[in-house]
Amino acid sequence: MTSRRGFLAGLLATGLAPRPTWADVGGPAFLSAAATADGSYALCGIGVARDLLFQIPLPARGHAAAAHPTRPEAVAFARRPGTFAVVIDCMSGAQKAVLNAPEGRHFYGHGAFSQDGRWLFTTENDYEAGKGRIGVWDTARGYARADEFASGGTGPHDIRRLPGTDVLVVANGGIDTHPDTGQTALNIATMRPNLSYVAEGQIVETAELPHDWHKNSIRHLAVSARGQVAFGMQWQGAGEAPPLVGLHERGSAPRLLSAPDEQWRKMQGYIGSVALAPGDQAVIVTSPRGNTVLVFDTGAQELAASLPLADACGAAPSETGVLVSSGTGALALIEGSGLSRAAQAGLRWDNHLVAI
Amino acid sequence: MKHLKIACLLVAMSTPIAAQTADELVENIVTHHILPRFETLAKETQTLAAAAETDCDAASRPLRTAYGAAFDAWISASHLRFGPTEEADRGFALAFWPDSRGATPKALGALIAAQDPIAQSPQAYGEVSIAARGFYALEFLLYDTQVSTAGPAAYRCTLVRTITADIAATAADIDDAWRHDHARRLTAPSANGPYRSDEEALQVIFKALTTGLQFTSDARLGWPLGTFERPHPKRAEAWRSGRSARNVALSLASLRDLAVRLAGGDAELAARLGTLFDHVQRDLVALDDPIFAGVAEPQSRFRIEAVQQSVDGIRDLVAARLGPRLGVSAGFNALDGD
Repeated sequence: MTSRRGFLAGLLATGLAPRPTWADVGGPAFLSAAATADGSYALCGIGVARDLLFQIPLPARGHAAAAHPTRPEAVAFARRPGTFAVVIDCMSGAQKAVLNAPEGRHFYGHGAFSQDGRWLFTTENDYEAGKGRIGVWDTARGYARADEFASGGTGPHDIRRLPGTDVLVVANGGIDTHPDTGQTALNIATMRPNLSYVAEGQIVETAELPHDWHKNSIRHLAVSARGQVAFGMQWQGAGEAPPLVGLHERGSAPRLLSAPDEQWRKMQGYIGSVALAPGDQAVIVTSPRGNTVLVFDTGAQELAASLPLADACGAAPSETGVLVSSGTGALALIEGSGLSRAAQAGLRWDNHLVAI
Repeated sequence: MKHLKIACLLVAMSTPIAAQTADELVENIVTHHILPRFETLAKETQTLAAAAETDCDAASRPLRTAYGAAFDAWISASHLRFGPTEEADRGFALAFWPDSRGATPKALGALIAAQDPIAQSPQAYGEVSIAARGFYALEFLLYDTQVSTAGPAAYRCTLVRTITADIAATAADIDDAWRHDHARRLTAPSANGPYRSDEEALQVIFKALTTGLQFTSDARLGWPLGTFERPHPKRAEAWRSGRSARNVALSLASLRDLAVRLAGGDAELAARLGTLFDHVQRDLVALDDPIFAGVAEPQSRFRIEAVQQSVDGIRDLVAARLGPRLGVSAGFNALDGD
């Protein structure tokens, strides 16, 4: 008797079956890498109800993932300065492909898909030149390397696609590093971060903060349904309470959000993730070093709440608010200024939570 | 009576935790570790500027001796990258290295080619590219075969005098800021100051230790080591003046002093740290390779890698034992970064 699985596989091979979608793996709302209780690493699918829908082994500790827009397929990136990423079929748990960074490049740990899901874009370092690159991979040819172009700065980290378009927004953190010197920054005195918008491989807009903030490394991004960009920064300079969050819309200057010094101090110069709540009503940022989540009211452009959450790092929008994950296993839902906790026993969520 | 004293001493030495309180630790480190280093740096750089005034010739023996002593003083303080060294980028103005893109010879070459009059004044010189300032730029002018012979001798002489005066002024500013302001901020934390508690003060000092160890491992050793396939002997720190291994030794000596002080009353930890540092110093001497030229030869490269691994071993012990003692223990993501 033909098994259902075998039957489906046969149909897939003939191209007659409908292509699988995220619904076929339980309709996860989020992806996150995690460390498990036995010390191994996994990529997890998380449902709207904060339930664990799947848990697929990863070969090493992950940083962030990119979710394919339609297929139940995710790319898990190794931690910086990783030279590989794995493409995971979330139905079977199998590795569909491995992306190896070309000679002289390493990944920064983030990626984004094109609108039609054909292309994957990855932030990379051309470390001999000290220049940021965006790698282009063709999903239709088994994620073969197809092209690359300039990221518009040094040290590109997060990358997102603006909704309804194929315009990419890149957080060029500004920090020059080289694998030979590990995490040691080579250019703090002269670093110049920016936000770059890229269309069809060309930089179409660059936004910078005033020079006083040139040591504020723009690293993580959130993009809302209407194209508003929120960015979270990591401070590399002296002084103890720099602003670390900003908003940007194309064609205007970036704006820094304000909070009392006391609150910025709590963040210890370090934002782990940033997310925009539905309707752009709030910007939420996490600081794993400061064990704190800050909630900003975007309308009033001021701080609405400061919530304690140990090792808080991942953040992604849900239908009703923003879900925050932590290295202690917490999955906290933030709605308005309130926070409701839940946890997955035995899992430690890695840096980033990705909304599907 | 004498026996009683010895007994008390033994009890004190065997107390595992906090024989010194946090504020005593900070006071001890500021008084005996930080302030003397910046005082020495200010003095030696003043001597250097005076030597350049007397004789600015690149081959001048007194000038080179003064350069060596002042550079020693900087390396011994180079891990203390917080507060006064970070204000106005003073630390970078003294030490622009590693210069991964060759900005220093480029900037100096441009000044010399244009005979840029900005080199006439140490005050104005603060406005030039930061890559053309400090000890590493001065090394090019004194020891690099091309830069030390480029353009008119008189212009190079002016550059040497101006750069040394700029170095001395920067070092004096750092020393001044430490003595008249920052020392008190560390030892007497306050709600409105940069440090609100003795614990926060200790944490910034602890971070200076960990980043100092990281810099020596990643940059001073890792940058010339490169990879087995692509070693880079000419990336060794200050190889032109033969200082690469010396700088590692000086930095480790300072970091040892700081680590042992931070271990405070934990005599067992202090002794372990001391032993590890002593082993690295011994291996470094045994290398007998002042400019890490051996990174390019498999046999000697292996021994330089071993030195780097020993430094990383100290980093592990510091993170595992010293950090928690000082209340610095980070979570899964907080430790990871990015």
